[in-house]
Amino acid sequence: MRPEQRTSFARYRHSLWLLTQRDLRVRYSTSLLGYFWSILDPLVMAGIYWFVFTQVFSRGVGHEPYIIFLLSALLPWMWFNGTVSDCTRAFLREAKLIRSTRIPRTIWVNRLVLSKGIEFIASIPVLIFFAILAGAPITAGAFLFPLAILIQTVLTIGVGLMVAPLVVFFRDLERAVKLVLRFLFYASPIIYSTTDLPSSLHFWAAFNPLSGIFGLYRAAFFPDNLDWLTVGISAGMSLALLGLGILVFKRTERAVLKEI
Amino acid sequence: MQAPVISLTGVGIRFRRNRRGRRNFKDLFAGGRRRNRPDEFWALRDVSFTVQRGEAIGVVGRNGQGKSTLLKLVTGVVLPDEGTVHVTEGVAPLIEITGGFVDDLTVRDNVYLTAGLHGMTRSQVDARFDDILDFAEIGDFIDTPYKHLSSGMKVRIAFAVISRLEEPILLVDEVLAVGDKAFREKCYRRIEELLAGGRTLFFVSHNERDLRRFCTRGLYLDKGALALDGPIDDVLALYNTQYGIKPA
Repeated sequence: MRPEQRTSFARYRHSLWLLTQRDLRVRYSTSLLGYFWSILDPLVMAGIYWFVFTQVFSRGVGHEPYIIFLLSALLPWMWFNGTVSDCTRAFLREAKLIRSTRIPRTIWVNRLVLSKGIEFIASIPVLIFFAILAGAPITAGAFLFPLAILIQTVLTIGVGLMVAPLVVFFRDLERAVKLVLRFLFYASPIIYSTTDLPSSLHFWAAFNPLSGIFGLYRAAFFPDNLDWLTVGISAGMSLALLGLGILVFKRTERAVLKEI
Repeated sequence: MQAPVISLTGVGIRFRRNRRGRRNFKDLFAGGRRRNRPDEFWALRDVSFTVQRGEAIGVVGRNGQGKSTLLKLVTGVVLPDEGTVHVTEGVAPLIEITGGFVDDLTVRDNVYLTAGLHGMTRSQVDARFDDILDFAEIGDFIDTPYKHLSSGMKVRIAFAVISRLEEPILLVDEVLAVGDKAFREKCYRRIEELLAGGRTLFFVSHNERDLRRFCTRGLYLDKGALALDGPIDDVLALYNTQYGIKPA
């Protein structure tokens, strides 16, 4: 097939896949432990929190088994966190390629979302492994996983489309984003559940789009944890952020291309 | 007459004079139609022309008059602040000396990546791969990271790939000046082949002989405006009377 016969959508998809493949190949072929590294980070973190909250402090938060409770939110958090922090360098790192190809520029954000998303999906067996180990029953809530992935994709693309171009102009944002992400880690129901918060905060916690998303992931093991109102607000917030992201991206694209 | 493959209408683009200047959110979101600011200048303004399929166009002008910017606009890697750029067919650009190759990847990976981003499938690249390497004459360095190549090799491999893309429009900036004489001649023969095959060419050069060799039409850019659009001989004549050294 000659390239000019392809539609621009097919071409975009082809390029997106090509860049994602390259990302994954670079990450996995240059290191000895490859795949292991992508799951080691969440595992170590889960191990630390598990130790601190079950062995050191007597824990009053989350659900039993706590390691499953942790991992079911920590793994998707890694996806979100990894993508957003990589987005701060999305344009700067690939400046040369961006200056020589005319593919729609959203690809530089989307390919990060996709490659980190694939890593996330590749890490799901770890969750299943621990679930079997801890003897946690998997409920029908597992069918909500695809919905959770969909909402998280929308949210991550939206945030990425805002972060990536703005960092080009305000380099300080790179650090600010890291700080906000760390804050967000504790502000999201990862090591605790939304129901553990003081009731005055319940309403506000729902506006963190990650609350509903993590609730959906956890529905596989903790169906009681699921609150459809929170999920609805999350979906709405995610769509709004995507809309805002597209707007920001469109308005700044011209200036970004001149700057890099 | 066929519809033009490239058409620019009232195109203008402006840049900031000092890149480190203060930025604010208002600037950034103001879009393309805001008033001119003192620290900005128009690199190109009111440029309009159309190009038919198969034309070979030479772009002439002194340094800093917007030649490269014009090529970037046609490629679509920068967007105009006013006017519209309409390009109906794919563009193979050789604008930057490195052709957009990534330093850390090997030559092989770079070939597949660049060709792939221009829409070629793996098997299409496979089919041309040996041909590309032969042309670039860098056989032994195929698995060397691109950054370790000499600048001559970088240009050779970049040209070899870009000229093998199936894109109907070819843009060549002054980059070929780096290669040695024999390779340059080889590149020029390739360009002639492509022209004979019906490709559209945009060629930037300071070398009159090269311009006359390929191009039938010239665009003369001066002070950010399109000063003359006509047969290449007229364009060169005007350029020489304004800035050239008088023929002895």
